[in-house]
Amino acid sequence: MTVPSLLSLLLALAVTLWSSPVSASSDYHEQLFLQPLPQSSLLASFNFRGNSSQQSFDNQHFRYVPRALGQILQHAHTKELHLRFTTGRWDADSWGSRPWNGSKEGGTGVELWAWIDAADDEEAFAKWITLTQSLSGLFCASLNFVDSTRTTRPVVSFEPTGHHPDANSLHLLHGTLPGEVVCTENLTPFLKLLPCKGKTGISTLFDGHKLFDAAWQSMSVDVQPICSSDGDCLVQIEQTVDMVLDIERSKRPRDNPIPRPVSNDQLVCDTSKHYNADDTCYPLEKVTDKAWSLNEIFGKTLNGICPLADSSEQSVCLRVPHEKGVFATPGASELKKDDGFTRCFSLPASGPFDLSIPEQQLQTEVPLQEPVLHAERTIVGHGQERGGMRIIFGNPSETNAVDFIYFESLPWFLRPYIHTLQATITGHDGIRREIPASDLVTETFYRPAIDRERGTQLELALSVPAASTVTLTYDFEKAVLRYTEYPPDANRGFNVAPAVIRVLDGANSRPLYIRTTSLLLPLPTPDFSMPYNVIILTSTVIALAFGTVFNILVRRVVSVEEAAALNAQTLKSRLLGKLVALRDRFGKKEMKVE
Amino acid sequence: MAVDRRKVAVFGAAFVLRLLLVCLFPSLPDLLTGRVEVSTPVNSFKRLQEGLFLYIRNVSPYDGGVFHQAPLLLPLFALLPDVKSSPFPTAIFYFFVDLVNAHALISISESGQSVQTRLHSAMRKHIRWDGVSIAAWFLFNPFTIATCLARSTSVFTTTGVLYAVSNAVDGNSINAVLALGFASYLSLYPALLFIPLVLLCYDQQAQSSKAPNTVRFFVQHGAILLASVAGLLGLSYLVTGNFWEFMSATYGFHLLVPDLTPNVGLWWYFFIEMFDSFREFFLGVFWLHLASYVGGFTARLRRQPLFIITSLLGVFAIFKPYPSISDASLYFALLPLYRHLFPLMRYTFFAVSALLYSSLLGPAFYHLWIYAGSGNANFFYAITLVWSLGLSILLADSIFAALRDEWEQANPESQGQEVKQI
Repeated sequence: MTVPSLLSLLLALAVTLWSSPVSASSDYHEQLFLQPLPQSSLLASFNFRGNSSQQSFDNQHFRYVPRALGQILQHAHTKELHLRFTTGRWDADSWGSRPWNGSKEGGTGVELWAWIDAADDEEAFAKWITLTQSLSGLFCASLNFVDSTRTTRPVVSFEPTGHHPDANSLHLLHGTLPGEVVCTENLTPFLKLLPCKGKTGISTLFDGHKLFDAAWQSMSVDVQPICSSDGDCLVQIEQTVDMVLDIERSKRPRDNPIPRPVSNDQLVCDTSKHYNADDTCYPLEKVTDKAWSLNEIFGKTLNGICPLADSSEQSVCLRVPHEKGVFATPGASELKKDDGFTRCFSLPASGPFDLSIPEQQLQTEVPLQEPVLHAERTIVGHGQERGGMRIIFGNPSETNAVDFIYFESLPWFLRPYIHTLQATITGHDGIRREIPASDLVTETFYRPAIDRERGTQLELALSVPAASTVTLTYDFEKAVLRYTEYPPDANRGFNVAPAVIRVLDGANSRPLYIRTTSLLLPLPTPDFSMPYNVIILTSTVIALAFGTVFNILVRRVVSVEEAAALNAQTLKSRLLGKLVALRDRFGKKEMKVE
Repeated sequence: MAVDRRKVAVFGAAFVLRLLLVCLFPSLPDLLTGRVEVSTPVNSFKRLQEGLFLYIRNVSPYDGGVFHQAPLLLPLFALLPDVKSSPFPTAIFYFFVDLVNAHALISISESGQSVQTRLHSAMRKHIRWDGVSIAAWFLFNPFTIATCLARSTSVFTTTGVLYAVSNAVDGNSINAVLALGFASYLSLYPALLFIPLVLLCYDQQAQSSKAPNTVRFFVQHGAILLASVAGLLGLSYLVTGNFWEFMSATYGFHLLVPDLTPNVGLWWYFFIEMFDSFREFFLGVFWLHLASYVGGFTARLRRQPLFIITSLLGVFAIFKPYPSISDASLYFALLPLYRHLFPLMRYTFFAVSALLYSSLLGPAFYHLWIYAGSGNANFFYAITLVWSLGLSILLADSIFAALRDEWEQANPESQGQEVKQI
């Protein structure tokens, strides 16, 4: 790939804006990046970044760093925070490598990791719980369910992105909620953290209906300290929203969203088919790119610029070939970059802004960068008792091996058997070979789960040779839970958090992350309607055994005749005794009457 | 000599049968290892392999939720070659453990302790199986074979218990208590056999020489038991390096029953369905219930200490927190020693039918629940109830027969009469 890619562009943008954080005229930047992707999709990448000096942050002078978040971080002694809300799946086969190299996305659901300043592990965990509880309230997410079973302490998978002078006292904690449904109630507090709060600037485009209708979307919040070489430190907050929208789907009007069939006169038929006739048609895919505009896609108008941001900044960038016709609202200035694909617009100072691209056919296509690693994780096996995990890594490069860290955190009720870890490799020749896992795994960090206390944490440092596919498998057993530990929809299964893959690239200091999809784990379920029945039935069996045994033990063995005699005697004497007692009572009464 | 030849034939046949099963069906051991009826969280070979894997790599196997077996098993199995690449050495090791158990069983049988004790002499001494038949009954019991092929670690507990008993009937009271210490160290519950075992030793000593001071005898042997367990725990500490970690992962796991994986016992489904606020209460009740049999049996069956041990093993097979068919196979191994009681038992047919019914339907119902999805947990639960019921009928019936035997000894003139209990 000789043509610079989307990623390197984003990188360049980030680096240029980053390089002079102190001297910049404004400490707040916002940026919207749009790129049409194959299969009539559109990647929209929003980025909002604000800085505040460490001193004013410590003194609680909040300007771009929102007070609500800043105070939580101070209270929980959190030095660096990364929070992700993600839904959907990034289709790497069609869309290429991920935006921001995957560093701004999370696994399906909610993912949170933070570096917390604390004296020891217990203190760090206590502060972590404070942090998750507070963030739970702030973002209307179930982050308060990140308890000890969902918290891990990765060793090599994450590195702080900020600069920390006293890194020794920092503790990294990581938690995921793979089953969390990210929705509008998380977007609203997210927008409130922005200086312009979605009223002006590019954030006016956010609409929950469109964002959460996307094929893939990821919202992120990162707070980290950035220090220059002379010791001045800034606290930087960066919020991003990335989404892949289906153009066709997004253009449907909100009040009438049901797709209609294309009318006959607009159908393009494949006339080469022998059955092609007036009433029979094999529809052809459109060769032209779809027409779209910002207003149509987002259902909202981009309304002015955020006054806090640098007004001269070109905050909307579009990555289409230069020869493509793009119409912008008058008043916006367009700048085409040298790479032949990127053009940026600076917004008019006031009034709405719109971009529209008519339907057109072009020969040139924007090249997509191929991902450095394909990863896929599935649960294999059948039955609710045990299963196996299979992870497939594919290295598409013909020349270079790829080194990476594979990190997964498993819930405690999934019990992996690490001694069954096996590896197979498929090389150039396409032949599967079993090899010892230790040939590929250079390092293992493993912390087994403890029931109801903590989950499994597994980090593997792996290397996949060029042009080969590696499959790792291991067995696991599914635990049976207490009936109160099952969720109301117990038979749906339990979510297993996605695995995180950190690709180690010596040349590129920026981290590259890939996340697999989350998994659904069906567990054996008891009968939830049975607690009383089970208690009664089991107790009956126990009582029967106990009763019979002790009945036999405490009674005397006698022959049948003896028993009959004894019984008869007791019965007779008992009756006689009763009669005597009755007679006495009557006798006494009569005495009294007299 | 003829008897010896029979013994060799039985042992050889048992060995060859196991070897054939392993050779003809190489996947059978792993299949059996995965069966919940055979492998429980405290004796599963797969969990032992995981613990061993971590132990060899210097990770504490007890800092996790998988391994709950005694620490000394780790260095023992570390000596054996890797199971995945060469399964035969481990399998043959287990075959020999079974043969060793059978050998102990023969010596128990040959002592005649089951028919003739110091205080009691059975009326039907002539109805008896000899040692080799009992060993054959043990070695060819499908439950024993399944346990052996599944490489369940409860066979070591079986060894401990059987050797404790065989030493006790031979009069080696110190060895007996040491063996019991080993069994208790492995799986905790054999400690409850202490009182009947010491009674057995006491009777043997009183028979051969002068009766020792009862209290002193008990205290002495209690001290030996404690010392042996303490010694094993000390060795375990050397192996693991963290005393409380392995104590809570092994004995704490036995006592508190946190893992509710299905098994043939009564605890798992009860504690799955138990209300959280009553969990601790019923845990206490279940353990008390289990321990209560010791006192009852000891008081009433004092004249037949070996029968107390046998019946207690039956109780454990039913009411242990993590029972498996290996516990039942141990009970079934000792029960034929009381062949002379069989004519006195009343519900044999019913008990045997219930046991056969549940052992055939159990796997089927488990399959329906876990794999086919056409049944639910109640199917397997119902079968465990029937299994426990069958075992408890057998247990109660054998106790009744033993008491009747005692009664006939006291009243020889009324032998064979109908009896009643009042």
